[in-house]
Amino acid sequence: MGMPAADLAWLIPLLPLLGACITGLGLLCFNRTVNRLRKPVAWFLITCVGAAAVLSFAVLAEQLAGAAPREMLFDWASAGTFNLQMGYRVDPLAAVMLALVTTIALLVMVYSDGYMAHDKGYVRFFTYLALFSSSMLGLVISPNLLEIYVFWELVGMCSYLLVGFWYDRDGAANAAQKAFVVNRVGDFGLLLGILGLFWATGSFGFETVGVRLQEAVADGRVSTAVAVILCLLVFMGPMAKSAQFPLHVWLPDAMEGPTPISALIHAATMVAAGVFLVARLQPVYSPYPVVQVVIAVIGTITLFLGASIALTQQDLKKGLAYSTVSQLGYMMLAMGCGAPVAGMFHLVTHAFFKAMLFLGSGSVIHAMEEVVGHEPALAQDMRLMGGLRKYMPITAITFLIGCIAIAGIPPLAGFWSKDEILGQAFNTFPILWAAGFLTAGMTAFYMFRLYFLTFEGSFRGNDTAMQAQLLSAAGKGGAEGHEEGQGHHSSHPHESGWQMAAPLVVLAVPSVLIGLLGTPWNSRFARALNAEEAAEMAHHFSWGEFLPLAGASVAISVAGISLAVLAYFLHRIDLGQAVAARFPAVNKFLANKWYLDAINDKLFVQGSRNLAKRVLDVDSKVVDGVVNLTGLLTLGSGEGLKYFETGRAQFYALIVFGGVIAMVVLFSAFG
Amino acid sequence: MPFPWLSAAILLPIAASLLIFFVPDEGDGRKVRWYALGVALVTFLLTVGGYLNGYDPASDQLQLVERFSWLPDLGLAWSVGADGLSMPLILLTSFITALACLAAWPVTFKPKLFYFLLLAMDGGQIAVFAVQDMLLFFLAWELELIPVYLLLAIWGGKKRQYAATKFILYTAGSSLFILLAALAMGFYGGGTPSFEYTALAAKGFGTGFQVLCYAALLIAFGVKLPIVPLHTWLPDAHGEATAPVHMLLAGILLKMGGYALLRFNVQILPDAHVKFAPFLVVLGVVNIIYAALTSFAQRNLKRKIAYSSISHMGFVLIGIGSLTALGTSGAMLQMVSHGLIGASLFFLVGATYDRTHTLQLDEMGGVGQKMRKMFALWTVCSLASLALPGMSGFVSELMVFVGFATSEAYSLGFRIIISTLAAIGVILTPIYLLSMLREIFFGKENAELISHSNLVDAEPREIYVISCLLIPIIGIGLYPRIMTDSYRASIETLVQRETLALARVGPLPLQNVLRPLQPGLGLPAAALQAPPLTTFRPTP
Repeated sequence: MGMPAADLAWLIPLLPLLGACITGLGLLCFNRTVNRLRKPVAWFLITCVGAAAVLSFAVLAEQLAGAAPREMLFDWASAGTFNLQMGYRVDPLAAVMLALVTTIALLVMVYSDGYMAHDKGYVRFFTYLALFSSSMLGLVISPNLLEIYVFWELVGMCSYLLVGFWYDRDGAANAAQKAFVVNRVGDFGLLLGILGLFWATGSFGFETVGVRLQEAVADGRVSTAVAVILCLLVFMGPMAKSAQFPLHVWLPDAMEGPTPISALIHAATMVAAGVFLVARLQPVYSPYPVVQVVIAVIGTITLFLGASIALTQQDLKKGLAYSTVSQLGYMMLAMGCGAPVAGMFHLVTHAFFKAMLFLGSGSVIHAMEEVVGHEPALAQDMRLMGGLRKYMPITAITFLIGCIAIAGIPPLAGFWSKDEILGQAFNTFPILWAAGFLTAGMTAFYMFRLYFLTFEGSFRGNDTAMQAQLLSAAGKGGAEGHEEGQGHHSSHPHESGWQMAAPLVVLAVPSVLIGLLGTPWNSRFARALNAEEAAEMAHHFSWGEFLPLAGASVAISVAGISLAVLAYFLHRIDLGQAVAARFPAVNKFLANKWYLDAINDKLFVQGSRNLAKRVLDVDSKVVDGVVNLTGLLTLGSGEGLKYFETGRAQFYALIVFGGVIAMVVLFSAFG
Repeated sequence: MPFPWLSAAILLPIAASLLIFFVPDEGDGRKVRWYALGVALVTFLLTVGGYLNGYDPASDQLQLVERFSWLPDLGLAWSVGADGLSMPLILLTSFITALACLAAWPVTFKPKLFYFLLLAMDGGQIAVFAVQDMLLFFLAWELELIPVYLLLAIWGGKKRQYAATKFILYTAGSSLFILLAALAMGFYGGGTPSFEYTALAAKGFGTGFQVLCYAALLIAFGVKLPIVPLHTWLPDAHGEATAPVHMLLAGILLKMGGYALLRFNVQILPDAHVKFAPFLVVLGVVNIIYAALTSFAQRNLKRKIAYSSISHMGFVLIGIGSLTALGTSGAMLQMVSHGLIGASLFFLVGATYDRTHTLQLDEMGGVGQKMRKMFALWTVCSLASLALPGMSGFVSELMVFVGFATSEAYSLGFRIIISTLAAIGVILTPIYLLSMLREIFFGKENAELISHSNLVDAEPREIYVISCLLIPIIGIGLYPRIMTDSYRASIETLVQRETLALARVGPLPLQNVLRPLQPGLGLPAAALQAPPLTTFRPTP
């Protein structure tokens, strides 16, 4: 074998970037022609990402075979004694993420060929997708915090572009902006934290920062409190990116973007970047228990909050979005428990089944649009769905597999990874374990609620009364939404084409099987990431501890599923009557998403607007007023003012010139 | 004798501008604009030629020196030269002016006068950056006011007279301080007055005298940069200017303030600078936050972008006040970067106004559906302006942040407060820029707007102008050393002078408020040796 693949790892983000640049320039310069080259552009970009995927798997294979981590750096900017370095780094963690991101990106691109087939922005969409893949892959192989920050922002930008992809929709425009700004709030902390860590340690490298920070604390140069604050500031970045409470508010709104984006960016890859960064920063975080506790508590709040709101969602995508929030909370909980391998394992399994679920929901929405038109308020609402299994069996089966996987039923993927997190939490923070355990039951319930409402029962899509009601609830006039869609083609939906069905089937395989790589008694996944931790895990493993916990998890999941079956499949109990009506306060609280959006709007959006208006008033009335007043007073005699208003002020400059010349003469006479 | 690159670059556009009245033209500007573009391009090539042939980026010495005695009695000489502080800005000036000529393509009202002023400004602005004599500097500084005044007063918007008058009063009034300071410094110590920078820097002014001169110059340059609260001329002037003038105002004029601060306040008055540096930093933070908020509330597109310029100049102030090589280098890069990004945004504002005939955000909306390429260009430039990585603005702001955060001259508390406040700008900038994009381009089309305006998409000329600006923006963003290496040596020498002054002067003001300074903390001993100041090599 010739050159190791790790030496070529820089090509992995570069290939999609080049592809995106070429088509992007083409769009700008030869808009019409390039827009007509739909399939060639799509295949070109899929090839770019595909090549990156091949390289990524080569890198992964090399790392699994035991190759040493590899790091290449060059001086990027320098001044004085400072050198800011950039480069890339390949290690098992990066290799796993590379393979994951390229796989899902590739599948999503194939899927998009079907999903976006009728969209006039097809080429632009693929360009953005390639750009995103490039940024995300760059983030994964970043060797230091500074470069992470660079790509962190770039994936944020891609998310902004893609959420706002349908820019004629107001909802999309607002959601895109919200996503970017909320993420910038997180980046504010991340930037300050990175600066602070650089001040304390003189480095941006993960390990170096970890080691030197501990030294600095030991020396007394930096107090423990400062070190903790710096760690928490950095953590604000992952909080925003991985949608942790209270910065999760952007993620559900981001569902305004096209569904393939929701699958790739807002479920499988970008939102996991926060978890990934926390895993990378374990050497920095692990010495400070306070930091770990904060991470774990925030993760727990998030997982509970996400699941509780998901209980009442009527919008299929929003339901999945809150489920993503909840699952990201589990990953963060794992990080806080000092079990990054468990968190990363859940990240990987979740990426597969959640991508599949989102793509499935996209398939449903695509099919619903044939019936109700291109109106998200209708096409995504489960009150108009039902009985879709008859019309789209592949989507239904894969969606069901996803539900079982996320609910944590063995031997599907979600069971192994979630159970490992719960096991770690049980040993570290029993209270947090209780919340996670309870939420596991809620997860099973709301996922099966989604499944039954969408795929079982009878089709409700032609209920025009309900359509009108939903439209008016969404604040849209009845007629408008229908006109822009291509009208009602058919009375019932159809299964999607192969481009959309094939990725679902492909993703179903890892959703079922990949968990077996991470069985607690022989975790190949853990061995690849961290051989020591894997050995320790295997050493400490005992069936006596595993079986009761796993049994309890499965039991509560089954309870949640049973409740969903009774309520939404067999219709034996009416939860609306039994629970919602009896506890209206709770129901209202959940339906209003814990009122967080309202608070956010009142406090920050309106607050910043009012503040800005005040400042502008001060600027135009006070600051500028003083200036104008002085101007008026000095020129107030009227003559001067008139003089300047007539526009002959160049004469003034002549005076200044003359003055200078006069002075020159004067001085030369004296000197 | 080597070819006088700099003198040629200054005198060619001025001489050519006088000849413009002899260009045969039917009054529609079709021939004149080619003439002007040609002259601006030759000027650009002259500066590039000077950079490639006579400029060694690794040296901190004054280069491309040309010196002729002019008024020997006064010691006034035509002396020009370039070091790391001036070379990047000279290149920027000739580059932006050439693009402004291209941006001025649609101008049909009095085209000869318009291009005459544009070219005269080109020479004047290069002179501001290149001259090495403070009286000459003052002359060049004043010379450039007249074209700007006329360009505002004749081709501006509805309130052009008001804006132009305000501009000239503000800047001319403030430049009296330059004259005062120049005379005071020139005559300091008796003997033959001398105004050359090297002579001034070698005079060893007393600290009290330095503080007085520094304060006077700070007012003058603070108006130009601008520093809040001396900024109110800028939104008016920018709000009324046409696109090409706008590009020059934002791209070059503001940089004259930053350059002059580095050249005079830092290089010639280092002792006072060390005393004033904390105030510069505070003023920088005020600039960033105050102007970001006013920009957010502003409903007029041009004024919005004008305020965003003020906000971005705050980073220049913090960088200059950081007293570190990295921070000062970041300030320099921010000037170049904002020159490019500001010019591109203002060009786009002009191009959009040509189509919508309104600048009020309330009267726009959904424009993106007809003008997709324009939307793309706007998005890219706005992202550049909000310091997206991969573009120059990110690098410069990052260098300022890292430079300031690691500056040993300040107490930890001060650094934490300032960094935190400055980082709030990182949140505010996307808020106002993305809100602006949303209001112009996103959403449903504004029926009233499309009923009376013809929203044609960007034409090739416009895409070309923006591409020319984006290439260096992205180039610097990807590999900043292509720019920073060209001035690195000069900045390091400058910062060594600051370091020496810091050791001489002792604790900074504001220091005691937060924590007493340990003098020389963290400074390597080598840094305390006297650095050689840039010296003249008289041309034989």
